[in-house]
Amino acid sequence: MTEKFAEATGTSLVGGAESHPSRSMLAFAGQVLAVGALLGLVPLWLGDSRVLMTVSILGLAFASYVIGFNLIFGSTGQLFLCVGALAGIGGYGAAIFADTMGFPIVVSILLATLASSLTGGLLSWIAVRRSLGVIFTGIVTLIFALAFENLVLGLGSLTGGENGFLIESGGDSFLRSRVPAFYLMLALVLVFLVVHGLLRRSHVGWAFRALRDDEVAAELAGVNVARYRVYAALAGAAMLGMTGAAYALTQGRVSPTTYGFAEVDVVVIVMLAFGGIGSLFGPILGAVTFTAINEFLVDFGHLRLVPYGALVIALFLWIPRGVIPTVGGWVGRWRSRSR
Amino acid sequence: MTAIILDGIVLGLQFGLLAAGLTLVYGLGGVLNLAYGQIAVISAMAVLFAMDAGVPTLASVGIGLAAGGLLGLIFDQTILRPIYRRQGEARVLLSLLLTLGVAFVVDGFLNWRYPTAGLSLRISGDPIEILGVPMRRGSIVGSAIILVVFALLFVFFRGTSLGRAVRSVIEDEEGARLVGIDPSLMLRIILIFSGVIAAIVAMTQSMIRPVTVTAGFSITVFALIVTVVGGLGSVTGALLAGIILGVINSLATSYIGTFLSLIILLTAAAITILIRPSGLLGVRE
Repeated sequence: MTEKFAEATGTSLVGGAESHPSRSMLAFAGQVLAVGALLGLVPLWLGDSRVLMTVSILGLAFASYVIGFNLIFGSTGQLFLCVGALAGIGGYGAAIFADTMGFPIVVSILLATLASSLTGGLLSWIAVRRSLGVIFTGIVTLIFALAFENLVLGLGSLTGGENGFLIESGGDSFLRSRVPAFYLMLALVLVFLVVHGLLRRSHVGWAFRALRDDEVAAELAGVNVARYRVYAALAGAAMLGMTGAAYALTQGRVSPTTYGFAEVDVVVIVMLAFGGIGSLFGPILGAVTFTAINEFLVDFGHLRLVPYGALVIALFLWIPRGVIPTVGGWVGRWRSRSR
Repeated sequence: MTAIILDGIVLGLQFGLLAAGLTLVYGLGGVLNLAYGQIAVISAMAVLFAMDAGVPTLASVGIGLAAGGLLGLIFDQTILRPIYRRQGEARVLLSLLLTLGVAFVVDGFLNWRYPTAGLSLRISGDPIEILGVPMRRGSIVGSAIILVVFALLFVFFRGTSLGRAVRSVIEDEEGARLVGIDPSLMLRIILIFSGVIAAIVAMTQSMIRPVTVTAGFSITVFALIVTVVGGLGSVTGALLAGIILGVINSLATSYIGTFLSLIILLTAAAITILIRPSGLLGVRE
């Protein structure tokens, strides 16, 4: 039934999720706090294991990436296939600003975030100006991502080429011990969640929903579609860049694979599609689930891609809208029936 | 200079045929097959294993081509079924994600089971001079095969009623249905074509350099870029874009350096898309 409806309205994959945000501000604050509290307990459970904490930190970085991607793709329908590259601008940028140029760490992170944000905004501006559709935006940003990867490999003297380089700045600070680093990354996730949630509640959110549902109608109703798309890209890319920078500094090194297309973008898309494209908490669910799955399968080496791929196929065949919107739909129907 | 341009054309023909296989499926069915490179790799592996088992080379190549076509048919019958039920952008996105899943499964299995396998078909003999430039035999045989395949494709699309039926579906699916053409049958035929084309590219490429198990993803990406530059759904556009990008790549490699050449290639592709979003020969929708 819901699937038929989704097909009829053409909203089945992009932004079919969550037609309206939950109404009360208090409920939203409660949900964010609950997510924070649940994830905040993880170090009590895994805190003794350095390996598992590193995995958890990467999981949180992915949660942030997915939120940023969700803001750009889920909210305004721009398929940015350069999540890894934008995060890489943040990561390499922060490392180079801090180590090579000697800026303080906080300044480096902010500069790198700015660079990433402007790059994302520029890409979005180009796509909007040339009125590229979803697929073409995807291809242009994919080309950008591949060019970035090659630039990193080619500019070996600055980026350390294939091996990347170790970051000296912040080496003796709290950033390199696992538990504080975990909470830093968790703080980023929560801040991004709140930002995305507040954006949706503001007039910007109305504009997002309008242009996502029907671009032409939104434009006719006076929504400046181009401007809101660029805003979303600026904000989303800033999230990606800041996460990339913070992750690089907590790891103490950057390398091309940290921000590779196959390593970041593909995973981010799968996580978001699992949680639910356009849904507020979908990114968290997707990131946690797939980080766990990945960790369970880690001993299988390359073979682990097989169940991973099979899961992706099964997922899109049976719950193409993602877990949170689908379960939300069930709950909604169950409620209306029991009334 | 001539040598560099000839090299570029050899590479460009590979690009062009690669893109032709992808662009037909997109033009006809609105499906972007991200497991396209994996079809090429599996076909190459089929040839490799057949040759290892003692099958003569030519028969092995036949097995490889059959494997490619069979994979196309299997795709059409299984994974693409649910995709056909959707329309427009939702269809493209779902096809992208589902075939990405297939690509994972194939890549994961092949990398795990045969991590170092690679196919190279050696064409023995001295280099042949063309326009005063000695060319390797592998390059010449490969390019000749690709040109023949393109010629066959053009004959098929212009000269046969089946080919015209396929083109009519690309132009107007509803209209084609009204005059009694079955679009899903045409799609099945084109998917088999696409699989065979992927296999042919794998073989001709292996005459120049080995096709390894890990090549799938980069094959798909290059096919995608050339397809978009050439214009979605246009075989001629694919050929033209392939040759242009091949020559650009070859010129950039020899005059500027390997690492920047790919960036120049990508920039050229991006600029083409931005200037002409419908591609060189694509029809503006």
